[in-house]
Amino acid sequence: MDAIPSDGAQAGATPDLAIHEIVQKLQPLLDSGRLDNLIDLLSIASDIVDLLDCAMVEKLATLFEQTTSVSWELGNAVRMAKSQTQALEHPDSLYGLLTLLREPDTRRGVGLILRTLNVIGRQL
Amino acid sequence: MHGGSAVIRIMIVGGGLGGTMVANQLVAKLYPEIVRAKVKVSLLSNSAEHFYKPAFMYVAFNQFFEEELKRSERSLLRPEIDFQVDEVTRFDFPGQTLHTRSGQRHGYDYLVIATGCVPAPERIEGLKEAGDHFYQYEPARQLAQRLGTIKRGRIFITVSFPQTPNVPHQCGIAPVETTLMLDDFLRRRGVRDKVEIVYTYPTTAQLMRNCLFLQRPTGEILPGLFEQRGIHFQRGFTLDKVDPDQRIAYSAEGDAQPFDILMATPPIRAVDVVIASGVSQAQGNEGWLPTHHETLQVYGLENVYVIGDTVDLPVSKAGGACHNQAPVIANNIAGEIRHGSADAIYDGRVQAVAQMGLNAGMPLWYDYTHDVLPTPPNKLAGLLRNGFNRGLYWAVARGML
Repeated sequence: MDAIPSDGAQAGATPDLAIHEIVQKLQPLLDSGRLDNLIDLLSIASDIVDLLDCAMVEKLATLFEQTTSVSWELGNAVRMAKSQTQALEHPDSLYGLLTLLREPDTRRGVGLILRTLNVIGRQL
Repeated sequence: MHGGSAVIRIMIVGGGLGGTMVANQLVAKLYPEIVRAKVKVSLLSNSAEHFYKPAFMYVAFNQFFEEELKRSERSLLRPEIDFQVDEVTRFDFPGQTLHTRSGQRHGYDYLVIATGCVPAPERIEGLKEAGDHFYQYEPARQLAQRLGTIKRGRIFITVSFPQTPNVPHQCGIAPVETTLMLDDFLRRRGVRDKVEIVYTYPTTAQLMRNCLFLQRPTGEILPGLFEQRGIHFQRGFTLDKVDPDQRIAYSAEGDAQPFDILMATPPIRAVDVVIASGVSQAQGNEGWLPTHHETLQVYGLENVYVIGDTVDLPVSKAGGACHNQAPVIANNIAGEIRHGSADAIYDGRVQAVAQMGLNAGMPLWYDYTHDVLPTPPNKLAGLLRNGFNRGLYWAVARGML
């Protein structure tokens, strides 16, 4: 027992020593009957790897990009608009808001929101 | 350090992965100054579209459509970034000004050059006429048509390094990846037993001699990997010229090899405007900028940084290098603006998941002092690579990962 290093020096350990080290670490789980849970978890992980194929990964990765890009764009827009609003000494006047509405970028944004609502409505 | 109330202009040239990541990370890093209009970040690119360049390799094996590997550059940039589609035609470093194709001039206080590199098959006699490669979309499509129709014959693979000492070719592992993908691809097509694959490597590969890969540990496992798959391999073949009529590749070592398809990693060079700037000391008019290996500043220039393929460093010209260089440049520019010194250090780290055949992958990393330690290619890493290709990459470009 004393000969087994426990200070992270396992990299150079012989296979026998390495197995001994692993068994030692697993012993408490074995004693309390909880090792089965980990084996079950490994089995589930293995099942997932078996079920995954290129087509499913492609769909999941595309979904990831679609979700993250929308949240990223919304987050960026809110953060930037918040900074600009906070930088104002006084709230926008009614005339200032109308001036903002006349800007092409604002109208593009409003158009996007109205079209989004239109598409949502179409699906109801 | 900057005083006064003038806006500090940070100009990034190039809308590839390096330029895009560094622009986004600069905005995140300097957000307080940007909000107060003390700093402005601009990006100039010669294209409104951003291409996921590693996907060109997959195009050669009919695994990717063009529409899947590109996005609008604007959609990858934070809204605070001033993005303009315009090509820089001249760097005026003493005047801290960029001249562009549209006739505009842009002054800068800090400049990041992220203009990448371009394949230059014309630098080897006959290679452009007779060779194929997978480092751009159109050539990769042409290669796909050839690989998809070959029924018997000999596919000869060559790798050309830059003439500049200790500078690698584009994406170091790509020739190995595509050789293994080719083997799988031809097996799927049912013609592998009638098509010979010959992988070759030049006599000099950065600091290595007479090897099969530019790093020793990976080079040592390749013979076993190739033998398992019946892939022939040959050391010491430095492509010197190609006879397009006879379809023979000649090496600088005096060898002559016939081919039906010549799948080459061609010579590369920096873009014209970087070469014309006269700052490079690279051999063969290749244009690599003299780069401080830790701060990523360009030697001899004030407030100019370089990222990605244009550096003259001994690390891979690949996105996995840009990923680790971008935060260093963002931190160094922020450091210079805020307290007058560039203190972040690049340790040469590059990481990737290599595509080892059409289904398997191998995660890898290395830096200036550690080589890649190859591990057994496996399905899970192959799926991880596929997930990166299809989704994670775009989050990386946006600076989210």
